[in-house]
Amino acid sequence: MFSSIHTMSINGMAVQEIQAETDLSEGGLPVFEMVGFLGSEVRESRERIRTALKNSGFLLPPRRITVNLSPADVRKSGTSFDLAVAASLLCAMGIIDQKELEDTVIAGELSLSGEVRRVNGILPMARKARDAGYKRFIVPKDNAMEGGAVEGIEVIGLSGLKQMVDYLTGSEKVESTVFSVEERLGNRSDTADDFSSIQGQAAVRRAMEVAVSGMHNIMMIGPPGSGKSMMAKCLPSILPPLSPEECLEISEIYSVSGLLGKDGLKTERPFISPHHTASAVSLSGGGKNARPGQISLAHRGVLFLDELPEFDRQTIEILRQPLEDRKICIARANGTYTFPADFLLATALNPCKCGYYPDRNRCTCSENEVHNYLSRISRPLLDRIDICVEAREVSFAELAHADRMPEPESSESIRGRVEDAVKIQKKRFEGSNLRFNADIRPSDIRKYCAIGVKEEHFMEKAFHKLGLSARAYHRILKCARTIADLDHKDKISTDHIAEAVGYRAIDRRYWGGAE
Amino acid sequence: MEQNNCHTIKCVTPLDMDFPDRLRDIPDCPNVLYIRGKLPDPKRPTVGIIGSRNASQYGLNMARHFASCLSDAGVQIISGMARGIDGVSQRTAMEAGHPTFGILGCGVDVLYPKENRDLFMRIPERGGLISEFPPGTQPVAKFFPSRNRIISGLSDILLVVEARIKSGTGITVRRALEQGRDVYAVPGRITDPLSAGCNRLIADGAGTALSPDVILEALGIYPENVPGTSLISGGVRENDKRVRLAKDEKMVYSFLDLYPKTLDELVCITDLSVQKLLPVLLQLMMKGLVAEAGKNNYYRKSQG
Repeated sequence: MFSSIHTMSINGMAVQEIQAETDLSEGGLPVFEMVGFLGSEVRESRERIRTALKNSGFLLPPRRITVNLSPADVRKSGTSFDLAVAASLLCAMGIIDQKELEDTVIAGELSLSGEVRRVNGILPMARKARDAGYKRFIVPKDNAMEGGAVEGIEVIGLSGLKQMVDYLTGSEKVESTVFSVEERLGNRSDTADDFSSIQGQAAVRRAMEVAVSGMHNIMMIGPPGSGKSMMAKCLPSILPPLSPEECLEISEIYSVSGLLGKDGLKTERPFISPHHTASAVSLSGGGKNARPGQISLAHRGVLFLDELPEFDRQTIEILRQPLEDRKICIARANGTYTFPADFLLATALNPCKCGYYPDRNRCTCSENEVHNYLSRISRPLLDRIDICVEAREVSFAELAHADRMPEPESSESIRGRVEDAVKIQKKRFEGSNLRFNADIRPSDIRKYCAIGVKEEHFMEKAFHKLGLSARAYHRILKCARTIADLDHKDKISTDHIAEAVGYRAIDRRYWGGAE
Repeated sequence: MEQNNCHTIKCVTPLDMDFPDRLRDIPDCPNVLYIRGKLPDPKRPTVGIIGSRNASQYGLNMARHFASCLSDAGVQIISGMARGIDGVSQRTAMEAGHPTFGILGCGVDVLYPKENRDLFMRIPERGGLISEFPPGTQPVAKFFPSRNRIISGLSDILLVVEARIKSGTGITVRRALEQGRDVYAVPGRITDPLSAGCNRLIADGAGTALSPDVILEALGIYPENVPGTSLISGGVRENDKRVRLAKDEKMVYSFLDLYPKTLDELVCITDLSVQKLLPVLLQLMMKGLVAEAGKNNYYRKSQG
């Protein structure tokens, strides 16, 4: 008897259709053989399947059993083939009707007792299965919510091998899992960190509002204890809400990484904050079976690098390509993997080793030390940061008398303005592949950030007076565009430009120079 | 190839006629001086301006202010050409086209520190670089205290702009007192470690350099038609016709002084929002009234 069952395999973020073929033949010695370029975890599945079948009440016949995972030239890894191979065996044994499974994809891991265990990557598999025209997707019960987010395919979550047989033979009914992503996105949970818990810091608050509205990369400079990290943690609370499409994009990455919980969706924008000892591969992603790195986990969210100069220089440099292309391409011996990596980069740093520059009365660093500290950050990275702002040390009085001060603005009210600005951008970029002002390419600057003669003149004067570099020009214009959007103005005015100039990135000439 | 005068190195000893008389009567007078450019004019007054290498914005401004007023009045500025106060005072004098003299702790053909390349190249055009160490000597920490005695020795008055309690400046001051030179110090806030050295000097009897006029008077110079050079904070000077400020600009400007204030502090004081304040500050910067130290740290630019 011969049978063939559809399943899927994950390679990086790419999903490939795989056929699990089984043949039972008479004659020869009884043997159970699995072929098809298998990784060791897939080869081991033979023992799992045999035992799981036995413990679910199905004995393998003493025949020559050959299982092939086709196409046989693609390396198979992961444990998601167990359930499909078991189903294929059961078909070949005549327990399940092959016709039942024509339009069905199966994925899941088996335990020795016959339970179906969760696997990674169900969400992208479900999307691929739907796009390939399959009608049904049998998945582990724990993963069912992931698959349920995909419309147009019936997702069946099963908890055991026995249940699968009962379901497929019609003796047990299993409801398909389905829910609406929009609905799930609607009930946004409150994040713990809220801007209302932060006293003062008007400058950083405003800079963050602008940064988030246009998804501009932001850098905070300030002495130790000025609350840089604390404010960064509040960033997620003012991020614009996810669209269903974005939600699925993020969830796919988390699904592949095995980081989705039982609820099966990532409904909030991620906030990833790796420690400064992070290695280059942990940030970029990679490994033998390439997995998404921290920058991909921050997709459509915030990647926060605290103490930026403490990061290994090589590690930081890998951010350059993703910041430009919004994705990362990893080439390894056994293939090239592309992971999305479109994130808002937030960084925090001390202005110098001791942290108090430019307050010379407290800073003990020499000009050279100050200069060296900053030069650990490469110019190309600084060039990708649109907004730079100083965080001030909070005085004792401000902390002690917080209750007497006016209540600081809450994240919710800031988010209201951010959402308005995002709506304006959405309308502006309709029909193009841009989403936020920060994405505007130099070639499109004239189209989206047009300024009048008066403003042009003002900008020229400011550049001349402040000795700004030409590189800053586009960044300031993009930032001014966002500020104008926050102001509900169609036209960029000199005030918008002036504010953007105030957020310009630190320039080394002014940093650690003699004057 | 014809060699420019300012690139040749001269050498004088106490036996030569043009050896500075100011140095002849100091204890352990140098046996030889190597010079690029020229020696200070013995007929014109000299003031040594010294201070911390890691100076605050206030110190740098004061150095600029004093160097500019003094050199305009014909005083020759002498300093150690180090980073910070030294370099700034000499650069101010040089850029105003006045002679200034750098006393080095290395050979006169050795560029140190590198940031002062402009001074190294241009000071010999009008003033001079002077050292007791032979050409080619590399800077070594132990050479610097001994060059300090030449700085004070060549100066009629020594002006300390900003110094910590324990610093190289202290050594120069001691040598100046041994040599019988007058010492003046610029006072600062008593809470600033960088002004502590100066305030201590004043308490110990040094002259208080409340303005460049004090130094000029001590030198017997009574300049005419020098505009009032008050740096005291407050509103915009009434008689200043050069700039016209909008209402907000006037208000923000009046809150600024020589000590840098952060954007956030300004928000608290002025009660303006960040988006209102940044354009105002940029306007003031473009008018040359305000400058930025570090990131979002604003201070009033001296109008010396």
